[in-house]
Amino acid sequence: MSADGNGTLLEASHVTKTFGGLVAVNDVSFTVPRGAIVSIIGPNGAGKTTFFNMLTGLYKPTTGQVSFEGRNITGKPPHEITHAGIARTFQNIKLFRTMTAVENVQVGMQSRLKSGVVASILHWPTQRREEKMTIDKARELLDFVGLRRHYELSANLPYGDQRRLEIARALGSDPKLLLLDEPTAGMNAQESEELRGLMETLRVERGVSVLLIEHDMRVVMNVSDHITVLDYGEKIAEGKPEEVRTDKSVIEAYLGSQA
Amino acid sequence: MGRRVATALWQNILWIGLSAWVLYYLVQSPTETLGDIKTGFSNGTIWALIALGYTLVYGIIELINFAHGEVFMIGSFVAVSIWAWLGISSRSSTLVIIAGIGGVLVVSMLASGSLNVMIERVAYRPLRNAPKLAPLITAIGMSFILQNVGSLWYGLPQQVPDLIGSQRTLFSLLGVDVVRSDVFAIAVTLPLLFALIFFIGQTRYGKAMRATAQDPDAARLMGINVDRTIALTFLIGGLLAGAAGLIYALYNGTVRFNQGFTAGLIAFTAAVMGGIGNLKGAVAGGLIIGVVQSISDDQYGQQWTEAVVFAILIMIMVFRPEGLFGEEVRPG
Amino acid sequence: MSGAKSGAAALRSGFGSTRDLLPRWAWILIFLALALLFPYVVPEILSGGSGDDLLDASVNTLGYVIMALGLNIVVGFAGLLDLGYVAFYAFGAFVVGWLGSGQFEGVNLDFITDVPSTLPGIHVNFVVIVIVAAAFTGIWGVILGAPTLRLRGDYLAIVTLAFGEIVPRVFENWEYVSNGRQGITPIDRVYFPGVGELNYPIELEGIYYVGLAMVLITLFVNIRMRDSRLGRAWIAVREDEVAAAAMGVNLVRTKLWAYAVGAAFGGFAGAFLGAYRNTVNVDQFEFGFSVFILCMIIVGGMGNVAGVILGAIALSMLDRFVLPQLNDIPDKIGLSFDLTAVNFGIFGFFLLVMMVLRPEGFIPSTRRRLELHSGDEVGDAAADRSAEVAPGEALYEARH
Repeated sequence: MSADGNGTLLEASHVTKTFGGLVAVNDVSFTVPRGAIVSIIGPNGAGKTTFFNMLTGLYKPTTGQVSFEGRNITGKPPHEITHAGIARTFQNIKLFRTMTAVENVQVGMQSRLKSGVVASILHWPTQRREEKMTIDKARELLDFVGLRRHYELSANLPYGDQRRLEIARALGSDPKLLLLDEPTAGMNAQESEELRGLMETLRVERGVSVLLIEHDMRVVMNVSDHITVLDYGEKIAEGKPEEVRTDKSVIEAYLGSQA
Repeated sequence: MGRRVATALWQNILWIGLSAWVLYYLVQSPTETLGDIKTGFSNGTIWALIALGYTLVYGIIELINFAHGEVFMIGSFVAVSIWAWLGISSRSSTLVIIAGIGGVLVVSMLASGSLNVMIERVAYRPLRNAPKLAPLITAIGMSFILQNVGSLWYGLPQQVPDLIGSQRTLFSLLGVDVVRSDVFAIAVTLPLLFALIFFIGQTRYGKAMRATAQDPDAARLMGINVDRTIALTFLIGGLLAGAAGLIYALYNGTVRFNQGFTAGLIAFTAAVMGGIGNLKGAVAGGLIIGVVQSISDDQYGQQWTEAVVFAILIMIMVFRPEGLFGEEVRPG
Repeated sequence: MSGAKSGAAALRSGFGSTRDLLPRWAWILIFLALALLFPYVVPEILSGGSGDDLLDASVNTLGYVIMALGLNIVVGFAGLLDLGYVAFYAFGAFVVGWLGSGQFEGVNLDFITDVPSTLPGIHVNFVVIVIVAAAFTGIWGVILGAPTLRLRGDYLAIVTLAFGEIVPRVFENWEYVSNGRQGITPIDRVYFPGVGELNYPIELEGIYYVGLAMVLITLFVNIRMRDSRLGRAWIAVREDEVAAAAMGVNLVRTKLWAYAVGAAFGGFAGAFLGAYRNTVNVDQFEFGFSVFILCMIIVGGMGNVAGVILGAIALSMLDRFVLPQLNDIPDKIGLSFDLTAVNFGIFGFFLLVMMVLRPEGFIPSTRRRLELHSGDEVGDAAADRSAEVAPGEALYEARH
């Protein structure tokens, strides 16, 4: 349960990341409220994925703090952050290619499983039950995202299904916050729309908040409660979709300034 | 502020530790340790030459040429065999000896060089796109094959004729006798190093090597023949290993078919210590390891030295995998 | 090059189709029956010395099978390239040397054995020794594995190799625990109350069955772990560490478990072999052995339990029987050198050819085939797997 009662799920304050001489993310502050769908947009190279990576523990912020449900998670290793309730997908699909769809989702559930090594070896009834539960739950999640070929090798799945599988896998850890890194990349209009519907369902039916990096403006504008815009590692605008859409600096960042 | 000092201390703990270790023995038995340092440097040239081979290859294809130690061993064997075949011994005339060494140096280098190129062609190139495990296994396989060839060539440790009168003192420095083989080692290594620096820095082949090491795809787009450049890198690595083989033969007095295994691991430690992919690091690492080895031989006995060097390797990997001159390889 | 390509393709498909002739449980039963009846079948077929030879080779093979399965966890499942497995063999063997011989003459400890209580040294029952050896070696697996956690690929291999060199070196120079170059001998005979002492090397059936029991235990543990949460974590770590960590896999714990279990099996088998050979000597522990075991899992098919076992049997028998036979060949074709010296060179050549033509081994897991031939036809891998689709499940979703 969260220590702070004001409905903020995730808070990043003054987060900066430098690699040697390069400043990838510069003093970005950012919150995700409970039950919200929030987007980060910006031109390529703006530092969005780097920011994500700091939220999920892949990178350690050079300065700044990240807290989740009131607890400080700055610089914690990825598996701890997943355990705390944040899950993610990747921009370049990182499925476990030689595992089936079900197995991929089962791995996603790692942090929630309790069976120890001895229990696994001896195949105790508790472990047996837990294993069965993982399979059932994996298949349920796969159905939820609309993936029918449960026992297909993930490498053999078509692109759209692979993206769906990544989401199902991330959902395996029962996250409170789902980070999606360009989930509609390579999808057609219909698939993007389905994904948008999926995010809404997640919010409504499962109480999962979503933080999205996205380039597809239609999806972003339709689904987001709130949008943050990054450019060259800095926050240049934020607000409701209508506000951001008409913000001058945002237009400039994307189209280049008209002298 | 204290935190920065602490991190800096931790990151450099290896050098601090090593320097303290050397200093300790320097203070405890100065002449002996100075002698060790001298021997260490001479030995170190051998390790430096072999380490350069590792580092060049790793720099360009990110692969440890596991068979490189054997390439070095074959260089030694070629030298010894030719001297035996030509009947050159310590009793031959100075002219014959000089020609014998000079000529055989070239032949050894070429033999090792071409062997290295062949290894790349047969064991590594077909597996360029395979997971890293595959070429490592073929390299081990190659190493085994070559060791076997070596054991069929000279099954027992083979004496090397003392062509340069290696133990004759030439001069004394700080109470330490500098013998002929020390000077010989430096005399062969320095020109090779200069040639290497010139080649890599100034010729277009060297530039091609550096470009391919940085970004093979971009290099290809620039019109560089990546396959040939890689082969060239192996050639150079092999040439240096061959030279090391000859120096080793004369310096050590004996050659054996499994000398490559230990030498390979020691030289690899040197390459890692200096920062894998970094040329001056390989040389520095070679010299440092040479000194460590000599001191350890004297103070702990030869049977422990291998363990000492490997312990250092492990510590480098744990505390500072990027070595002396390498870039930070840690994630985020 | 096209000739080699189609030859390789033929190799690839050959074994796959043989496997499909019978359902899995049938194969298991067949092999189990063969294994159980083996010591009794052998004297029927081979008389006298050669029968004993084969049995002796088989007992050794059982030890190697356990080690191959152990290394398979580290390399095959978790993807950690360990070139220093011989160190774990050494640990296990020395444990039996310490707890089952007269090595520590100052002590006088006796536990469920039938050695006279006046005999100096520590003498503990074999079953206890083997468990202690597994635990002890498992702990060392964690100790030696811990420094390697952040290393990848080549670096990891070299460091494990270095450990594989250091451990025997330390044993060699530490006379008190290893008796130096002379080694520890004799080792107590394996003893079970009620059965008595096993009479190897004269009668090999008893020790063979002990070995077989140990193999079955190893297999059981192996398969249980593979099909568990930890097993999935291992494969995930091997495939993609970053993704695995993001999915909640604790990388450090997962890798250390792989080392611990893999090492434990090494010690388990090491104690067995030490007892069987009646002597523990540092000369038994060389880098070549690490490669030998690694070969077994490469040849058999990394990650695939059945393949690893077959690979272990094949290579062990090859090393024992075929390679020495090759000695005759030079004579027959008029050359005069001795091929026994070329054993490891031939291994090396074999490795080379194997990796270039069929790196996934002869009986690969579908995974492995997929990993190593991602450029080639993936179709057969998919066809393989589709047989395992749950009943009632649509195989192909007609959407795209």
